[in-house]
Amino acid sequence: MSNDLNKEANELNKGVNDLKDEQVQLAINNSNDEQSYWSNVKRQYKKNKRAVFAIYVVGFLALIAIFADFLANEKPIVCKYEGKISAPVFKGYMVDAGWAKWPKQFQNVEWKDLDYDFAVWPLIPYLPTNLDFRNDKFVGPFEKQNVKSRKWRHRLGTDQLGRDVLSGMIHGTRVAFLVGIVSMTIATFIGILLGSLAGFFGDNELKTSRASIIFGALFFFPAVFYGFTSRKYDINNFGQFLLSLLIFFGIITLGIFIGKLFKKIPVLGKQVAIPVDILITRLIEVVVSVPVLVLVLAITAVLSKPSILYVMVIIGMVRWTGIARFTRAELMRQKRLEYIEASKALGFSRVRSLLKHALPNSLSPVFIAVAFGVAASILIEAFLSFLGVGVPVETVTWGQLLSASRKATDAWWLAIFPGFAIFITVTMFNLIGEGLTDALDPRQKR
Amino acid sequence: MLEYIVKRIFIFIPTLIIISMAIFFLNLMAPGDPVESMLNLSSGGEAGGNMADKMSGEEAYLKKRAELNLDQPIFYFALTSKAYPDTLYRIPRKWHRETLHKMIGTYGNWEQINAYYQELQSFENDVIQVKRDSLNPKALIKIRENIGNLYNNSEEEKVTKYFSNIESYIDDAPSTMALSGSFTALKDAHNAVLTKATKWKTKIPKFSWYGLKNQYHIWFSNFVQLDFGMSLQDKQPIAHKIKSNIAVTMTISLLSILLTYLIAIPLGIFSARNKGRFSDNVTTTVLFVLYSLPNFWIATLLIIYLCSPENLNWFPPYGLGEFSEGMNFFQKLGVRAYHIVLPLFCWTYGSLAFLSRQMRGGMLNVLGQDFIRTARAKGLEENRVIYKHAFRNSLLPVITIFGNVFPAMISGSIIIEVIFSLPGMGRMLLNAIVFKDFPVVFTLVLLTAFLTMLGYLIADILYAVVDPRISYK
Repeated sequence: MSNDLNKEANELNKGVNDLKDEQVQLAINNSNDEQSYWSNVKRQYKKNKRAVFAIYVVGFLALIAIFADFLANEKPIVCKYEGKISAPVFKGYMVDAGWAKWPKQFQNVEWKDLDYDFAVWPLIPYLPTNLDFRNDKFVGPFEKQNVKSRKWRHRLGTDQLGRDVLSGMIHGTRVAFLVGIVSMTIATFIGILLGSLAGFFGDNELKTSRASIIFGALFFFPAVFYGFTSRKYDINNFGQFLLSLLIFFGIITLGIFIGKLFKKIPVLGKQVAIPVDILITRLIEVVVSVPVLVLVLAITAVLSKPSILYVMVIIGMVRWTGIARFTRAELMRQKRLEYIEASKALGFSRVRSLLKHALPNSLSPVFIAVAFGVAASILIEAFLSFLGVGVPVETVTWGQLLSASRKATDAWWLAIFPGFAIFITVTMFNLIGEGLTDALDPRQKR
Repeated sequence: MLEYIVKRIFIFIPTLIIISMAIFFLNLMAPGDPVESMLNLSSGGEAGGNMADKMSGEEAYLKKRAELNLDQPIFYFALTSKAYPDTLYRIPRKWHRETLHKMIGTYGNWEQINAYYQELQSFENDVIQVKRDSLNPKALIKIRENIGNLYNNSEEEKVTKYFSNIESYIDDAPSTMALSGSFTALKDAHNAVLTKATKWKTKIPKFSWYGLKNQYHIWFSNFVQLDFGMSLQDKQPIAHKIKSNIAVTMTISLLSILLTYLIAIPLGIFSARNKGRFSDNVTTTVLFVLYSLPNFWIATLLIIYLCSPENLNWFPPYGLGEFSEGMNFFQKLGVRAYHIVLPLFCWTYGSLAFLSRQMRGGMLNVLGQDFIRTARAKGLEENRVIYKHAFRNSLLPVITIFGNVFPAMISGSIIIEVIFSLPGMGRMLLNAIVFKDFPVVFTLVLLTAFLTMLGYLIADILYAVVDPRISYK
């Protein structure tokens, strides 16, 4: 009897357990339906047709930028010359990298005048720097051009020196994308670093003993001295500079470490907070107070040699503030959430909960800032090369092509096409930024 | 409230000082010797000329240097090594100072280096005093060229090369043979520098305190008193140049701000009220396109198509126009307005689009909130809901932007003034940058920073006025 009862109870229990399992399974399924945060964002983003379109356009432009050398080049892509088949464009990369040398028949040649057995030419058989003396002084795309055949026409005309405009546009895409990517990489690095420090530690959570602060400050001057002042004439490359930084931070760390030894002494060992947030917000205020454009202009003026690399670095060094602000605000929100509390309770260190938990969850707004930042840096570069400041003359950029139109008011192709390229690129990145803003907005109904 | 404003201003001052220091040190990194630029000398150009020329040149140089306060120490203090003398800043020529600085960094024995420098100078004087005859002109010129090189270079191989150059020319003529005595002394002095090197001294830190009489202090206190120094380009006081350029920039930017706010706010409200309708879609799209159009492209296109004889010749392509005699006030105003239309348009449309979009966003945000629904539910008419309840709250994002108006004004003015050749601050800045006129560049940068921070200050205060919920305790 009791056995039966037990059996019954067991079966009932089993039924209940099955039911529970089922419910759990259902819940899991449901949560799969709900999907993760990022797939939600993706779905939200896809609702914005313009933003999706912008992604495709940017992808297309990026392809142009990557394959610029194969789209517009003075060398054939593949050719057979004096009985040998070769791929000069590809070979050019090897030569530039120092891994190969031009064979004798190709040294200092005018590629177009060689007598090939066969040759596959790029779509535009000109480099932006090639001077075509037969078609100089602004020949338009529809005007009569002094070329061998249709293939050699300058499809978007030439400038004063006979340089092909379409080729310049294609290689200009590469410059624009490089500027956007490099400068925003630098800006993102600085911005996330400072923004997360300020947001996570705030004004009273990074604590250390008074002795550490005192010794850290005391060791600051020797750190500057041995890191930079006394090595002033040794720092002539990036490796030396890194070594200097290492010395600098090493000495400061040493100071802090010595401070730690005084932990037991009552007055010196007292824990005080470092106002990280105040310090970093002030720094942001200082950087923001000079308009980016004016600052970039002033710094490029100080540099002795114009270089597109400097321009990228400078833009990156002054455009990080937006990213830092976004990161800071988001981290301030995140650190009040329960999971950070939980990671604290589990005994994880502050640094670990910052790096492994809080930061990855706070990065989404950074994407917005980066998208708008890329647009802005491309615009700044175009602006600088339009003015002819900071960007070397031999680098062909959209801004430089556009500025050439000011000298010849009837060369409409120089005014329309490069300007349009700048406009489209900037607009597309802005659209992506807007799409991200909407998609990441927590108020949006999912 | 008052407390907040006072506190805010107190934060403003240290920030300004830090910015001024950053700009000052950027200025120090600028290439070229400002004294030489002021005197229209080419850098290191010392070949040729006789003793009297050299003396008067030296005198003029020292006088100008003192005038520009460049004979003072650079900053309140300096962190150097034991090898450096406190008084290195007293060496007048910038190039010489840099060479000596580098030598001390490499060899660490100021005593010998100074002796070598003295020898080099006395050797130069000896060379200048040699009378020209038929045999020696080429040798003299070559020797002095090499002396100039010695002043600017300190690497051992280079110095040896210049020494051997001089040696080869000294034997050219009997008159130059007489120099060999002082030349040997020079070589000995350089040898002493090499043999008695005390590199370890460069590894011992030294802190020197210079007090208030230093270049930064003088520069910044003059700046606060609106004395900005001299322009290198045309030797005019910078304050004077600014005065003659500021009117154009101020007029156009004030007009532009006024237009922006007058159009953008109603447009934003209109767009928000008609959200989702055709009119809103059109406005939003147009505004987005306007916002993304680079103004230097539009300005270029406008000049080509509306201002050139080949196309439509409707507007003047550059300048502000000339007044002819007998024009009355309104005719003059007409001339100015005619010239200003296009620049004003290019200056305004970007910020106009940006502000309208912000206003629309802010308004939509407010209109979605509960208190607006309540207002509607209790039967208020729509206009009252919008202007009485929603408007004030939607102003917040617009006010934040007011802080950006000043920087936008200055950077916006650069391109428009350059393209339309308007005599304003932006063009002045670009000219200064192109001609490496650093005093003007850094004065303008600091002024811009000051104005920008002022803009943020005003925006913060306005914020507090509009939104009483915000307390700044």
